[in-house]
Amino acid sequence: MSDTHIAKKPVSDIAASDIVETVPSALLILDRNLIITSANRAFYQTFRTSPSETEGCLIYALGNRQWDITALRTLLESVIPHRASVEGFEVEHDFPTIGRRTMLVNARKIFSPGDHDGSILLAIEDVSEERAARAESKRNWQLTKSIVDTIRDPLVVLEDDMTIVTASKAFLTIFGITEAETRGRRVSELLQHQWDVPALRHLMEKVLPENKPFESFEIEDNFPGLGRRVFNLNARKISQPGNHAHRMLLVFEDITDRKQRERDALSLTNEISHRIKNNLQVIVGLIAYEAKWTAAPCVQGYKTMQARIGAIAQLYDLISQTSRGRTVAVDAYLREIAKTMSESLLGNTSGIGIEVTAEPVEIDPDRAVPFGLLVNELTTNAIKHAFPNGSGNIMLCVEQIGDQIELVVSDDGIGMKDKDLAKSPEKRGSDYVAIFVRQLGGTIVPSKQETTGTIVRIRLPLLLVPSGAEPLAA
Amino acid sequence: MLSRQEEFLMAVILVVEDDVFIREVAEMMIQDWGHQTLSASDVDEALVFLRSPQHIDGLFTDIYLKTAVHGGCDLAHQAVALRPKLPVLYTTGNNITDKMKALLIEGMHFLSKPYTQHQLQNAVDELLAA
Repeated sequence: MSDTHIAKKPVSDIAASDIVETVPSALLILDRNLIITSANRAFYQTFRTSPSETEGCLIYALGNRQWDITALRTLLESVIPHRASVEGFEVEHDFPTIGRRTMLVNARKIFSPGDHDGSILLAIEDVSEERAARAESKRNWQLTKSIVDTIRDPLVVLEDDMTIVTASKAFLTIFGITEAETRGRRVSELLQHQWDVPALRHLMEKVLPENKPFESFEIEDNFPGLGRRVFNLNARKISQPGNHAHRMLLVFEDITDRKQRERDALSLTNEISHRIKNNLQVIVGLIAYEAKWTAAPCVQGYKTMQARIGAIAQLYDLISQTSRGRTVAVDAYLREIAKTMSESLLGNTSGIGIEVTAEPVEIDPDRAVPFGLLVNELTTNAIKHAFPNGSGNIMLCVEQIGDQIELVVSDDGIGMKDKDLAKSPEKRGSDYVAIFVRQLGGTIVPSKQETTGTIVRIRLPLLLVPSGAEPLAA
Repeated sequence: MLSRQEEFLMAVILVVEDDVFIREVAEMMIQDWGHQTLSASDVDEALVFLRSPQHIDGLFTDIYLKTAVHGGCDLAHQAVALRPKLPVLYTTGNNITDKMKALLIEGMHFLSKPYTQHQLQNAVDELLAA
């Protein structure tokens, strides 16, 4: 459509009466004696009256004197005579016909040609619903704040520009700052900028736009009056029904004591570990010293003994890494054993690989060492004897079968002949396997020996973990 | 061609370990391979050697030294500050945490306790070849 077809009419050309009848605000024109000379349709509709009841009437006498309001008298008799216009004068009143209302009144003196006394134009806007909504919002906010103030953990509520709207009493008390010092400021600006951490800022910037809460962001620092403290920060988006504005709730959980207990436990674990490993080192040293004076044919036996002591030490580490409360996760434990053996016995260039297939089953820590030694013994045997050409695969498999755990150690090597068992080192290895299996309360399941490869299948009773068990002391 | 022992013949290794038995057995092993050892039980004793004109080819130190939980780490940093090209072999019975790793000098060697003479020999050979 071309512009020539559009009827253009400037606003100034539109008749004032048309505008007056169209605007949603109630309009009244009063003469110098405050007699109503005219009103618009919006006024009659809002206040449920008619032109005959209104025009020529003193404004205070209108509608059975329901407009005889002190605040309006103040506006018309004290303010308007001295000012050309007044805007946003708020009048709250109980009108008999329409109930309690809050009106926003704008007043302006108008002068027509030849009219030296002038008239008063009153524009009256009913803002009752907006004020009621605002009051409701304020009540809700006060309720929220009173709940917030009862929460022991310090917290703040942030606007989408990351400035603080409110801080809980706990926040103000713990960090020793006033509400005025927090309002409108960013968390990163508070105190001595302890929260001014790029990683935290990055996480906070995603909470509102991406609705991405975060938990347990740890900050350790010195705080004035508190000393060294560790806080976990959690943040999430909060919304009020019917309100499009979103805010962020940022909670500061003081985990200093918990952290200290964890550190003490870790320190104790390290101390115990240090002593155990040193004692094992002493044993390995004693064996090394004995081996120095022993006839050559016996030296291999001493070396094997040292290797088994080394395996126990490694298992001790792996158990502490894979323990879950009072149990040890067999799947993680088995993977760690395979990884450690690959690194120590095979290296990066070996053609022998160790694969693990394990279901998430658990055993008690008391059985974890013999279990690990059993796996170690069977795997070491496979590495030493199954692959004379230096390549192949060893498979470690654990699955739950009923109330038992089945451990299968197999390889695709040259297989084991009966006469091999008669040789003394292999005989000793199989003796150890039998001892570990008995120690674990398990049985060796006979497997048909394939022409190639070896398979050893062992069934162990599954641990029944008592409910409500205390976590395993580190 | 030189044998492995001849290749590193009479290297001088400073052994720092607070447990006397462990230290002496380690020294005995190292001496069996033809090297000379210097013996210290803590950071201060080790620094006396490091600050002296004594020739030292490598430092073999426990990390946990008496009451100093990371004493060996501190010692290694001071040793390298005094002798920038000195290779270091750490040992410990503790789990190596990320925090501990951050304290180790990058590119240095590490041996877990308990170690056998074979493992120590390999580690010392690697230390001297560095």
